[in-house]
Amino acid sequence: MNTNAFPIPWQQRDRLALPVAELRKVAHALRRQVIKLVRRHGQGYVQQGLGAAEIFASLYFNDARIDPAHPRWEERDRCILSTAHNSALFHAALALRGMIPAELLDDYIKDGSALEINVSERLGPVVEGTFGSLGQGLSVAAGMAAASRISGVDYRVNVILGDGELEEGQVWEAAMFAGSQRLNNLCVILDLNWMQVEGHTDDVLRLAPIADKWLAFGWNVIELDGHDLCALLKAFADARAETTKPTIIVATTVPGKGVSLLEGIISHNAKLPAEVADAALEELGEIA
Amino acid sequence: MNTPTSSQQVRERMLAVEDFTQGGAHTSVIAAPSLEKPLGDGVPRYYGEALQALARERTGIVALSADLTAPTETDLFRDTFPRRFLNAGIAEANMMGVAGGLARSGMQAWVHTFCVFATRRAYDQVAMQIAYPHADVKIVGFLPGLSTILGVSHQAIDDVALMRALPHMTVIEPSGPAQIPAAVRAAADHEGPVYLRLLRASAALAPDTPWEPLELGRIQALDDRDGDVLIVASGLTVEPARAAALALREQHGIRVAVANAHTLKPFDADFVLAQARRRKLIVTVENHSTLGGLGSATAEVLAEAGSGVRLLRLGVRDRFAQGASMQWLFERHGLTATGIADAVGSALG
Repeated sequence: MNTNAFPIPWQQRDRLALPVAELRKVAHALRRQVIKLVRRHGQGYVQQGLGAAEIFASLYFNDARIDPAHPRWEERDRCILSTAHNSALFHAALALRGMIPAELLDDYIKDGSALEINVSERLGPVVEGTFGSLGQGLSVAAGMAAASRISGVDYRVNVILGDGELEEGQVWEAAMFAGSQRLNNLCVILDLNWMQVEGHTDDVLRLAPIADKWLAFGWNVIELDGHDLCALLKAFADARAETTKPTIIVATTVPGKGVSLLEGIISHNAKLPAEVADAALEELGEIA
Repeated sequence: MNTPTSSQQVRERMLAVEDFTQGGAHTSVIAAPSLEKPLGDGVPRYYGEALQALARERTGIVALSADLTAPTETDLFRDTFPRRFLNAGIAEANMMGVAGGLARSGMQAWVHTFCVFATRRAYDQVAMQIAYPHADVKIVGFLPGLSTILGVSHQAIDDVALMRALPHMTVIEPSGPAQIPAAVRAAADHEGPVYLRLLRASAALAPDTPWEPLELGRIQALDDRDGDVLIVASGLTVEPARAAALALREQHGIRVAVANAHTLKPFDADFVLAQARRRKLIVTVENHSTLGGLGSATAEVLAEAGSGVRLLRLGVRDRFAQGASMQWLFERHGLTATGIADAVGSALG
């Protein structure tokens, strides 16, 4: 089975810095892989995976300094997935970036596999931490960012949060800490899809105004369309240029983006019947 | 009256602050702005000094506190190594995650707060970000069990049970100030998560007091190795247990051996089983609930080995306590020398 739309994963050390035209293809390939991975189980985090494809493409394939051959390279940029359930997309991105063998994707959610539905560090050093208990990623990221300052080893820490996760009080403890400590090497990418288990976030707890909250905690806030690759690249660059504050990129995303049968449907753990998956793959087509 | 407008002004107003972080009988007045020196002069900070000494040798040690820097004696570390110190504020859940992140970056992180907040308050964070990844984090909790007047919110009667239940976690409780340096050293030398449960000294040790050794994972045999009865005590109950044994021998001619279970996990099953073959009664004493702590650990070992020896567990009997002096609380819960001696005497009929 050809698990990658691209024939050879990228294995270069350091930032890939792919241009937008290439990142579009990456996002497309990631979406195809998400459908394939979730299709096997018939249910899973397909909506989040499709929705965050551009976030992952811009982070792993443009901005982050990574060495696939040496996942614990001391100066690597840390990438943390606090929303550990977005695992189909995460594992697809690791495979495409050359951080895990593409064949491993065949084991996704199989009993005994290290590719679990909530990403765990059982997969090895390519995973920076085990989350899934929501609200914890930003604290660990802040610890890593503080460690860089203490040790003098220069790197950035990126952490992907979900909007539903903002309901956890610990996120705000960490936001206050990172703001107080002026951890300018820390960057949150908020995957703002307005979706949580019980539906629209507004129907559970009111999150708005999100940007104002982070501003009040002393953060550099950048709001953008999470599918706009140009805007994402500029935001990452701005985050790197920030010298006194941590940055949050508030990226509005559409669940199920890119597949007409799924786009805009709010479903945290969505059913993906084979016929829907097949239609999705047909719609996504092969990379030209 | 003017409203203070700066933190300096606020500090200057704090002319007399009672320190409620110790036993209850102990309150001391401190002059502004030395909130950092909460105890009266002359009480050495055995923990703070031990950590400070260790950090001089090992540059990879970092320390965190949750707005309890002086009450956890971490101000010594902070003032000596300011770049390696982080105050996380009153936010223990975040502090545990930050410590996990520091440990994942190659540092040995020492986190400080009261026992209740280190365990109950941040249990999931400790489990997922410290225990699961085997992070080299030392969780240092102060105010164990009934050692504080601050009441039920500050009394950690279940922390040992909680920490014991976590895979990868080591649990150490020194018997008193003389064993704190060895406990700190043992925690530092053990690579991985450690919960260190201790109480600050409220008075200086006598000048000729020897430092107590601590061999991780080994129960330490103390007084009178013979007799039909063995008391295994931990932490603040070691001293009353020894006094109880002395009283039983002197007043009733009953020989009672005493041991100090400073390592509650991993638990020294070999010692307990070897003792069980020689004794008619084993007594556990702990400044903690009898559910899940030293008494439970002992019962588990004895039962699984099919030992028929009788076991008496002394401690907090499945109830919450209240704010009162430590002396009063220990009397109330049968943890004084008299209480322990009476319970042992009754058990022997």
